[in-house]
Amino acid sequence: MSSSNPGSPSATATSSSSASSFSSKAHSCIQALSSILSTVPSSVSSSSSLLHDPTVSSQISTLLRDPDSGSGDNNLCRWLYDTFHSPDPELKLVVLRFVPIVAGIYLSRIALRKSLAGFEAILLALYAHETTARDGQPISVNVPDLTQPSIYHEAKSSVKTQATELNLAVISPTLEPHGTVRSSRRARIVGVALELYYSKISQMPVSSKLEFCEFCDIWATGIQNKPSSSSSSKQKTILLPWELLQPSLRILGHCLLGAHKSKKLYEAASMATKSLYERSLHDIDAKAILATSSLLRLEKMALDPKLNVDHTEIDMSLAL
Amino acid sequence: MADDETPSQTQESSTAREFSANGTSMSTTDVEAKLDKGNIEEAESSLRERLSLNSEEARTLLGRLEYQRGNVEAALRHLNPNSSSVSSSNYSSSLENNCANLDSQSQQAARLVLEGVYLKVKSLQKRKLNFVFIGFVEAAQDCTNILDAVGRIFPQGIPDAQVESKLQEMISKAVELLPELLKQAGKYQEAMAAYRRVLLNPWNLDNDCCGRIQKAFAVFLLHSGLEAGPPSLGAQADGAYVPKNNLEEAILLLLVLMRKIHHGDIQWDPSVLDHLMYRLSLCSQTPVLSNQLEELKPGVFHRTERWNLLALCCSGVGQHKAAMNLLRESLHINERPNDLTALLLAAKICSEDSQLAAEGVGYAQRAVDNAKGVDEHLKGVGLRMLGLCLGKQAKVSSSDFERSRLQNEALKCLDSALSFEQDNPDIIFELGAHYAEQRNLNAALRFAKKYIDITGGSVMKGWRLLALILSAQQRFTEAEVVTDAALDETGKWEQGPLLRLKAKLKVSQSRPMEAIETYCYLLALVQAQRKSSGPMKIDSQVQI
Repeated sequence: MSSSNPGSPSATATSSSSASSFSSKAHSCIQALSSILSTVPSSVSSSSSLLHDPTVSSQISTLLRDPDSGSGDNNLCRWLYDTFHSPDPELKLVVLRFVPIVAGIYLSRIALRKSLAGFEAILLALYAHETTARDGQPISVNVPDLTQPSIYHEAKSSVKTQATELNLAVISPTLEPHGTVRSSRRARIVGVALELYYSKISQMPVSSKLEFCEFCDIWATGIQNKPSSSSSSKQKTILLPWELLQPSLRILGHCLLGAHKSKKLYEAASMATKSLYERSLHDIDAKAILATSSLLRLEKMALDPKLNVDHTEIDMSLAL
Repeated sequence: MADDETPSQTQESSTAREFSANGTSMSTTDVEAKLDKGNIEEAESSLRERLSLNSEEARTLLGRLEYQRGNVEAALRHLNPNSSSVSSSNYSSSLENNCANLDSQSQQAARLVLEGVYLKVKSLQKRKLNFVFIGFVEAAQDCTNILDAVGRIFPQGIPDAQVESKLQEMISKAVELLPELLKQAGKYQEAMAAYRRVLLNPWNLDNDCCGRIQKAFAVFLLHSGLEAGPPSLGAQADGAYVPKNNLEEAILLLLVLMRKIHHGDIQWDPSVLDHLMYRLSLCSQTPVLSNQLEELKPGVFHRTERWNLLALCCSGVGQHKAAMNLLRESLHINERPNDLTALLLAAKICSEDSQLAAEGVGYAQRAVDNAKGVDEHLKGVGLRMLGLCLGKQAKVSSSDFERSRLQNEALKCLDSALSFEQDNPDIIFELGAHYAEQRNLNAALRFAKKYIDITGGSVMKGWRLLALILSAQQRFTEAEVVTDAALDETGKWEQGPLLRLKAKLKVSQSRPMEAIETYCYLLALVQAQRKSSGPMKIDSQVQI
């Protein structure tokens, strides 16, 4: 590492440009990580390479999956926590990249009564970040009323007397500050972490989204398929309240219908959606049934060549 | 999905192709033979002679031929000389001068040039589908050049009916292709801007083409995961509604598309409704979805399917009575009486209302009977619903004998439901509650504790049940400990029911002063809530 990190902390501290201060932050972050992981390739020298390096992320993923991970004195949790508090937005992305696995393992282990303070610290940090960023305010959208003209349409019968009636839809309710994870607020705290993840999802590597699909499937079915062996182990079913399900379905929508080109991700998202559909039938959750069943139909339509004719194709005639 | 396009399925077959221009036509066979031997100049000159073409026109035809034969590289070689000219200023200004009077001859000349560029764009796109996609950027740039040129020719937008149909067709294609190319090039922010550029300017697109672009944009806004900010239109908006974020924009576009479907302007496209269904149910706006379903022309959906979807929409916002009315229609013996989703939903709604419980028993029983084959996994849910409906029915039964018979049956059903779904927290809770009602407090206690374990204490009703069971066993001190633990795990706005329970436990232990203290705290909480609650605090009203 020493060759790729010539600037000592004191030398970089004198630099006034925030870019170089970010890069020194990234360096110290990578250095701290190299004491936790067995190897950090020398090519990993910036926050962006940290985000996208497959060997680093697979080592971190493996450590997070360790049965003893997630406790309060866990080095890796500490590192993720510290890294998230760095001012460099790219380093924050590195932490967000592991939200699926942290949230996934955390929720799967609740019933085991183990210390999960390390995971909780990370999730609370994300929650606090979002609470501050939004000043605790809810996020809502207006469902437009087509009797009023919009930039995309003209209203034919303009009823002037009728006041614009907008349906206000709350996407994410008010956030109260939380210093600890109270169990009744757990789903909300994890849900907010997933909302934050979704807001940066276009910058997340495919491997991270694949992990999300994997855990979504486990949450829905309680079944964990171990890739190494043919056996699958049944875990305890996890409650999927709306505050957890809603952001999860938004992420799945992206994985299933987004503009990425990973076939593996489409397949994983499709499997997770099927599992969530079945789960929504088990829970007889009307909104979840509507959302998951429409996703499944959309996936089917996206794969049907008859429905995907290219209308921009050139006319086949050779006449001028 | 454009991303999934397979490499060009260009017709390789050598079935008789014909060139035609200026009222003459000729077979392509000779020209193809010349091209195959690499005699490009000969091929060009024979075309020029036979069809009286200039060299530009001849090259356009050769490019098209090669494109059709799947030889995109060769097509690009024919096209390169004239396509670069569209972006060079001298050519485009002559193009614009040419078109200023909009007569058909000059329009045709303009079309030829633009078509050449468009062919190049498609060739680049095809080439990159076959290999890597750096060329998408170049293709997108050329496509932008086409639109820029069209924009200069028609600065006020394309006038209706004054444009030659072939030129219009080419423009429409370029308009539709540009955002797709930008997406393929990975330039998502530019794609957003391109979508808005093509949708908010008059290109004289037909309904179908405009509909396709609107849908593609809505899908992109919904699923790309990017937030590009609202469209900024300034004066253009002119009092019209401008969506303030990408989600609003996507929903607006989908609703506009639905309206076009209702008016018959575009064909029915199930994916529009499904995108809307997905997004509106995620923001709990299922009544908006109901309106759309109600407006659909008959025949689009089978009526039972529509009733069931409408019932889900109603149930999604707690309109259970309306949902039940719809489900009764769809589960009628002459309709689809064995639809599992409808049966389960009906049973669930009935299980929450003692007046409907007896009716619910019928639906639940039918669900159990029909949970076969691929639906076998729903047997446990059916049994659970049967147990819940029987239990609810027991509460309004006329005799003690009847009540205890129903309660026993309910417990039996819940027990067998649990054998299908061990560890299902809902069934565990319901077993606890039913045992408690039957005064089988030891069994009730076992299930209540298991529920707390399995949910990690995250659900308040579990704590309440446990405290109530302990208090029924006269174990008041323990009940209080449980209540305090529950208070620790609960946010303050949800503490109301627990505080009331705690106060009652104090009364039961003859400690009225402590009970008063607890009630005072509860009152203070209610007042604090009243002060701080804005209209948005829907989710966090103090529950008393």
